[in-house]
Amino acid sequence: MRRGDGGGAAVKLARLAACALWAVLPAVACAAPGAQAILAASDAIRNPDRPFGLTVTLIEYRDGRQTDTTTLGVYSKADANSGQFRSLIRFVAPPRDADKLMLKNGNDLWFYDPSSKASIRLSPQQRLLGQAANGDVVTVNLAKDYKAELAAEEDVQDGERQNRHCYKLDLSAASPDVTYDRIEMWIDTASSRPVKARFYTESGRLLKSAYYRHYQAQLGVERPTETVIIDGLDPNWVTVMRYSDYSWRDVPEIWLQRDYLPRFKPE
Amino acid sequence: MRAWLMMALLAAAPARAADDDAAALSLADTTPASTQQASDWRVFLEGAWAESALRDGAGTEHDEHLFLDVHYDKTLAPAWRAVFADLVDSHWQDSISHQNAVNTVIDAYLSWQARPDAIADVGRINTRYGAGVGYNPTDYFRVNAIRSIISIDPASLRENRLGSVMVRGQALWTAGSLTAIYSPKLADQPSDSAFSPDFGATNFRDRWLLAASHQIAANFNPQLLVFGGANASPQIGLNLTTLVNDATVAYVEYSGGRTQSLLSQALLLPPDTAFRSQVAAGFTYTTASNVSLTLEYEYNGAGLNQEGWNALRSGPPAAYAQYRAYAADVQDPPTTRRLFANARWQDAGLNHLDLSAFAYYDVVDASRQFWIEARYHWTHVDVAVQWQLNSGAPGSEYGALPALHTWQALLTYYF
Repeated sequence: MRRGDGGGAAVKLARLAACALWAVLPAVACAAPGAQAILAASDAIRNPDRPFGLTVTLIEYRDGRQTDTTTLGVYSKADANSGQFRSLIRFVAPPRDADKLMLKNGNDLWFYDPSSKASIRLSPQQRLLGQAANGDVVTVNLAKDYKAELAAEEDVQDGERQNRHCYKLDLSAASPDVTYDRIEMWIDTASSRPVKARFYTESGRLLKSAYYRHYQAQLGVERPTETVIIDGLDPNWVTVMRYSDYSWRDVPEIWLQRDYLPRFKPE
Repeated sequence: MRAWLMMALLAAAPARAADDDAAALSLADTTPASTQQASDWRVFLEGAWAESALRDGAGTEHDEHLFLDVHYDKTLAPAWRAVFADLVDSHWQDSISHQNAVNTVIDAYLSWQARPDAIADVGRINTRYGAGVGYNPTDYFRVNAIRSIISIDPASLRENRLGSVMVRGQALWTAGSLTAIYSPKLADQPSDSAFSPDFGATNFRDRWLLAASHQIAANFNPQLLVFGGANASPQIGLNLTTLVNDATVAYVEYSGGRTQSLLSQALLLPPDTAFRSQVAAGFTYTTASNVSLTLEYEYNGAGLNQEGWNALRSGPPAAYAQYRAYAADVQDPPTTRRLFANARWQDAGLNHLDLSAFAYYDVVDASRQFWIEARYHWTHVDVAVQWQLNSGAPGSEYGALPALHTWQALLTYYF
């Protein structure tokens, strides 16, 4: 029989789920002016300011061929104290993973398989594996975890191949727990929209690039409905993350714990 | 010359990156706009073909299984939910004429969320507790729950088993919950009938359980359990997991209380009730190259130590067989100490290829069991090959199993 609650499966699911959370990086109000405020404003573009739900579809390409598609239902809510988002994720597709669940609450990451009824704690490393190392971005609370410096103002091409006048921010880690030592981020000077980002290892190697695109009105704000992630080593490794079905959701605090995982069923 | 070359390369790099990005964005433009909707059903059909080499040159044995696994989870009304899960195992051994079928009702219950923080369930529920991977002493409702062993994989053993009929209530608060379960006696004897609900297997005595957990700190969420029932002293359970570092999760699972030894229970000997403990403790480490490794130490204070185990093995075969059968039914190791190792590698050098392996080592009799699986998956189809080896001295935990080694091929279709 299949190995339903395997740590290996959990690892991939964790990666994918974490990917999904790219969409829900918490916006942290930051009073500091300048670069830090620009960064906080771009966080607010991506992330609704009240508990919400959405559907995330991840489509992965290798060498131009579509190799994986995963659909997730995500509910998120910010912690009133830390500003960190806590999220419940339910796997919708592919069929073998349907109804598996994830809970991300800071460094607490739990995986639940409804077949084996097992709730397994995952380590952050289990989110960093493979190509969807983009998943670890969810641990990055940009305005909170990074110190931003204004590196330049320049015109760059956005995900729709339009020229945008952007602030180029250099983000350096302000917390030892973050995944990336450095991030370059381009933010539209007029709208505060995130346009693109590049993520680097400590040694300066490019891990991935991301384009935030297809802005649409969602929950009262023009937000990106797609992120295109390009692997830093293998540019033919591309993941498209689509966000749909945005809606305000009541997410009671009592849901955000391991023991509620078997109970969680998104509407 | 060299400096010029370096400058030329550096100048070319951003252009290459821009080209790569443009190509990736063009590819992303072709992605069709479609969203998969959640379904109340999960169904898969699996065929398994196995060949076992029997011990002592006794030839080979062929087994074929066809599994139909159905899960249904429906929100009937805002506060009401119905859950049903069932497994049908059609089994052929050696020839097409030796066929039998076993139906396992995993879940069949109704759930009522009276308030956001209070939930009640009634029906047949496969409830499971335990932080351990290879052994779960706090998984109190595991006893007699397996109707047919279709894989020795501990994950499969937890999934494919009978739920117990019970009433369950759960109260939730911020970062904590309390669960109370009452599972009544419904029948005396288990049934071998293919489609029997087999209440005698799971509900053979009155049982109750309390489970409480509360997140005391960011990385500390202990779970305490108290389990009891007719003709048995309460057992105290504890499950603890913690993050050691970014790559390692450590866990401890403990159950303890006054109970008879496994031998006394199995052979219906005069009660030798004493305080006994059972433990599974280990850690899972994930490497940077996508491999998760688990090492676990398992202790069963109700099992036989070396002296008792040797005495049983050299005694009457009927007593030995009865003990082994009982230990298998209650899913406890027959001896006191065992080691477990598990490795899983997702996308093992090839996208969609997963490798898994585990090994048990009985510390008391030095017998061993190995299991390895290679699994390749598409969107709806899995193909897997498994190999299992049981080695050890005659009468040892794994050396007594009839199959020396087994090959199994599986084909699974997920609807």
